[in-house]
Amino acid sequence: MKRIFWGIVLALFMATGALAADQNQALADKAKVEGKVAFYANMTAIAPIMADFGKKYGVKAEYTRLSTTKFIATIMTEHAAGKLTADVLQAPVSVLQYLKDKGVLASYVSPSAAGYPKWANTDGKIQLFGIEYAALIYNRDLVKPADVPKTYQELTDPKWKGKIVMADPSTHATTISWLVGLNENVIKDDAKWMKFLKGLAANDPMFVASFGPTPAPIESGEKLIGISMPKYIITKAPAPLEWAHVSQPLMGSPRGIAITASAPHPNAARLFVDYWLSREAMNTLAIKVGEYVLTPGVYPPISGIDKAKVIPIRELSDQEIKSWGKEFKKIFARP
Amino acid sequence: MSIRNPGTIFTAPLIAVVGFLTVCPVAMLVLGSFSEGLGAFGTFTLAKYATAYTDPEFIRIILNTVIFTTGSAMVSTGLALFLAYLNNRSNIPFKFLFSIISIVPMMVPHILFAVSWVLLLNPTNGMINLFFRQALGWEGIVFSIYTLKGMILVEGLLDLPIAYLVIAPAMSSFDVSLEESSRVCGASNIRTLLRITLPVLRPAILAAVTLVIIRSMASFAVPSVIGMPGRIYVLATHIYRVVATGYAADYGLAAAIGMSALVASITLIFVYRRLTREGEKYVTVSSRGFHPTTIDLKGARYPLFGIVGLISFVLIVLPVAVLFYTSLVPYSMVPGVKAFAAMSWKHYIGVLKDPVSLISLKNSLLLGTGGASLGIVLSFFVAYTIVKIKTKASGFLESLSFLSFSFPGIVVGIGFMWFFVQTPLYSTIWALLVGYIATYLPYGIRPLTSAFVQIHGNLEESSRVCGGGALYTMRRIVLPLLVPGIVSGWILMATMFVRELSLSVVLSRPGTEVLAVQILRFSEDGLWGSLSALGIMMIFISTALVVIASFAGARLTSVKN
Amino acid sequence: MEITIRNLSKHYRTEGGSIAALDRINLQIPANKIFTLLGPSGCGKTTLLRCIVGLEIPDEGEITIGDEVVFSSEKKISRPPDKRDLGMVFQTYAIWPHMNVFENVAYPLQAQKKPKDEIARRVAKTLHFVQLDGFENRPATKLSGGQQQRVALARALVAEPKVILFDEPLSNLDAKLREETRKELRRFLTELAITAVYVTHDRLEALSLSDNVAVMKSGKIVEVGTPWEIYFETDRRFVADFIGRVNFIEGSIARMENGSVIVDSGIGTIVCDRKKNLPVNSPVTLGIRPEFIKTFYENPGAAENTFRGRIETLVFTGDVWEAEVKSGTETLVLRIDPTFPVKTGDDIFLHLDRRHCKLLFN
Repeated sequence: MKRIFWGIVLALFMATGALAADQNQALADKAKVEGKVAFYANMTAIAPIMADFGKKYGVKAEYTRLSTTKFIATIMTEHAAGKLTADVLQAPVSVLQYLKDKGVLASYVSPSAAGYPKWANTDGKIQLFGIEYAALIYNRDLVKPADVPKTYQELTDPKWKGKIVMADPSTHATTISWLVGLNENVIKDDAKWMKFLKGLAANDPMFVASFGPTPAPIESGEKLIGISMPKYIITKAPAPLEWAHVSQPLMGSPRGIAITASAPHPNAARLFVDYWLSREAMNTLAIKVGEYVLTPGVYPPISGIDKAKVIPIRELSDQEIKSWGKEFKKIFARP
Repeated sequence: MSIRNPGTIFTAPLIAVVGFLTVCPVAMLVLGSFSEGLGAFGTFTLAKYATAYTDPEFIRIILNTVIFTTGSAMVSTGLALFLAYLNNRSNIPFKFLFSIISIVPMMVPHILFAVSWVLLLNPTNGMINLFFRQALGWEGIVFSIYTLKGMILVEGLLDLPIAYLVIAPAMSSFDVSLEESSRVCGASNIRTLLRITLPVLRPAILAAVTLVIIRSMASFAVPSVIGMPGRIYVLATHIYRVVATGYAADYGLAAAIGMSALVASITLIFVYRRLTREGEKYVTVSSRGFHPTTIDLKGARYPLFGIVGLISFVLIVLPVAVLFYTSLVPYSMVPGVKAFAAMSWKHYIGVLKDPVSLISLKNSLLLGTGGASLGIVLSFFVAYTIVKIKTKASGFLESLSFLSFSFPGIVVGIGFMWFFVQTPLYSTIWALLVGYIATYLPYGIRPLTSAFVQIHGNLEESSRVCGGGALYTMRRIVLPLLVPGIVSGWILMATMFVRELSLSVVLSRPGTEVLAVQILRFSEDGLWGSLSALGIMMIFISTALVVIASFAGARLTSVKN
Repeated sequence: MEITIRNLSKHYRTEGGSIAALDRINLQIPANKIFTLLGPSGCGKTTLLRCIVGLEIPDEGEITIGDEVVFSSEKKISRPPDKRDLGMVFQTYAIWPHMNVFENVAYPLQAQKKPKDEIARRVAKTLHFVQLDGFENRPATKLSGGQQQRVALARALVAEPKVILFDEPLSNLDAKLREETRKELRRFLTELAITAVYVTHDRLEALSLSDNVAVMKSGKIVEVGTPWEIYFETDRRFVADFIGRVNFIEGSIARMENGSVIVDSGIGTIVCDRKKNLPVNSPVTLGIRPEFIKTFYENPGAAENTFRGRIETLVFTGDVWEAEVKSGTETLVLRIDPTFPVKTGDDIFLHLDRRHCKLLFN
């Protein structure tokens, strides 16, 4: 019911924003001449947003999905050959940071981001709009309510031995950042943090390549709990997944969006970013895909998320990720 | 020089074409492995090799890779020999099963096949393990999939079609008089098999082993789905870990590691060529041996069929059933009353309503049929040159054809991207088509060379003397005799193209999406249901292609009476 | 049609250089006769045949068929095999397994794009000629060896070629069938009065089938002649040995007489017909075929060429005893009437026919 309410508020808001609409109209006309916009990203189920955008403005939005490991390689290859066809890029903020340093990104501050937190745009190029939040996800059919961890540290309890699944902490960038973020934001005492890591390692978690394969073993009961993403509760419904409502904050890498400096369709690119950051689009993202977005008052329909504290973790540099990866490889090595 | 090779004139242009297709991406990778930065071009450095080969873990990884690849080659070649022998040479009942068994793993997306086996054999609640524990009161774990043995088993089964499609045509066109003479000499069936049949088939067997080793070296699905949870790393997953750590993936470093796979493959091919150089010794199709007689299995008929039945159950029924089951249940559930109650077609409906899935179905179908047909035409000329024109250049051509094939998939895709971005083909469906053909050329060449080797030179020569020109001879004599090889090659290529991932994931763009990429997306998002539904559709498409190809082949080979 | 071969050479490259498969061959193959190339394996006979037919390209020389030059290294002519109007029967028969008998035989006519009814007529005629009427629809693989051989012959004949070539076509048949087929083949070819070139390593085949024989060795033609000439007239040790059984007796010239040569040898003094003048005391090899050595229990009382010998071994082959007889320091192979009561160890007399004691040279 709350979503519907917000939807109505949103509609009213849009209808009354006459001035904004005027500017918007000029941009939309230019964009329509350009005809299309190319969007490179790695996100699930954003087809409805692309379709809505096309319907609304008569500009075709094309989605090229690139996996994170190939994102920079692809963009830089196309960029170097002068064939970068992307207008708008979406990626974890570290990736965009890298591309910004290589001169791939253009400056643009969208009027739609007006209500977003200050830290979500610091350079006028990369606009953060969401947090790829991770949590402890468990099988609610097989884990008794009393057993559900109330803190991250409880994951080191020997009762979870052999029952945990997580992405490989020696290679998976998001998991590495998350573990480091835990130290910087939650378990600030280095010794206690190390104790947590060692306790987790002692429980012999099963490693998979990334977050993608984490929910399946939990659903099927092969494992009971894992470091995974709450959005799966929505995308994989009705699977018996639930997130552990820990007392500590949830953390995740910020997701950003930016326009390319060489955008073949610069106006369509701006129009698309404006639309993407709008309440309408972000609402779709939160509801359909379970994403955590920065638009004030928009939450994914997962119980308790609106109450939870979700914080962005510091973006680690590539160098840091690699050296932490090596460190975790040692810590998590089987004796 | 000899007149029966009017094709000598083909050699140079062929080397140019095949070289262009396969050398360019690999050259880009070599460049990338020697340059600073993340692209193919940069200042020269040896740093990437230093990093790659001073890793203390590397020896362990090489060892795992060797065990994994040779193990898989043994499993698939052994099975292929067993099945091909029974199918072509014995009176075992229900022969149609054989061609199905041998093809099915070709059609199942490998990642799904691997996942099915995890559901069957994982140590916690794998269905087979559960069955033994609950129904038979077995203590502990019967078999854990997350081991090197598990990886070998699954990869071996997955590569069975490659081995079978290379061995079966050789087995079926075997000159029966060789076996007869052995039996006349008083040798038993088994002795004949060991002393005559297998040695004569040596080129085909070696070809199968070589091909499977090279293929499993490049394979990623099994090492990632089964190896990584068991923390067993082989070359492909090692490269993945190198690439995946951090955001700015260093594909130059990955290429540097991949070079060891390339070197290993080229060495293997060299050894293979050395071992089969006396090609003439194995010319076994004569006019007399075209219809081999069958061996009466007598009492062993049904027990052997039982074994085949079991293999086919394990190979086809189980994984496909698991896949079908997964496509019907809303999420990964252990089978039971609850699961049955929750079954629905919603994943299928979802996939059929998804425009991208529909585009990818269409594209994959086009690439599968069109790509395989073009690929076979090219393979035909290459195989002809390799077998019939025995110059140094033709040996070079054969090694060339393996270049991009032997590179681990995650790396070769990037090589193609670095290459195609320099051409107008980039981000078009032609890039996929050209890339597929270039990479999987050996799938067409191998069955065709096996088939070519077995056509006695006299059959062609007599056509020339009878007044048939080179092309007329090709059309009326060579092609019809090659039909079994052509069909095998086409099936290998078409089913490969339908499920191709490594290149597609890098080269596909809006409008050129293909099935495997769509399946990968579903798997990245953990949507096993949609993934299985699309997988089942993919199996249907591949089955249709295989059935059509086999039917056409049978029509073409039937001797008119 | 006559075939003229001039100065034909072909080399094969090997690991350590090259070997001459054909070494400056000059040969005249007469029209409408059966001409056989005979020699041990590796002598170049098949290579020569394949050069004539166009399946191999010589390095040097010239080949003319009729009045048409089909190959000439000087004039840079090399007609492909399909443009030489020849027919050939292969050792393997090379019957196409994916076609039936009719299709196999019709093939050369189809390649020439002849009208359908003409093809049908000519195929039927040819099949009748080789006595395969009614086999039209039989799959090629369901034929016996002899039938396949005839299909191959019919296929080679159907287009009425200038020349028909045979590459050891009988070697895949069993002995009895081979003999019958040989006769039959001779009848067919004589009847057609066609130029035929026939390659074999079987001396019996060469002798019984051919009008002319060329004996080859190491890429060279050693001798050309009618089978009778080759068998009886040769003075080459290699040819004499290859074309039939022969006893070699080493010796030296004792003296020359009017019409006779007297040779001292391990079995005694042998008198031969004189054909050439040779210096006294020069070493010679004398060859005599087993059938020209007669055996007696009593001394036949002839003036010359009678020697004593002892039977060392005896093999009964039905039509004769094949015996090895020790005489002096030599062991001779000879044939004894099978009804003659001999046994191993018997002492006998030998008589050598002076007309057939040949002085042989390398």
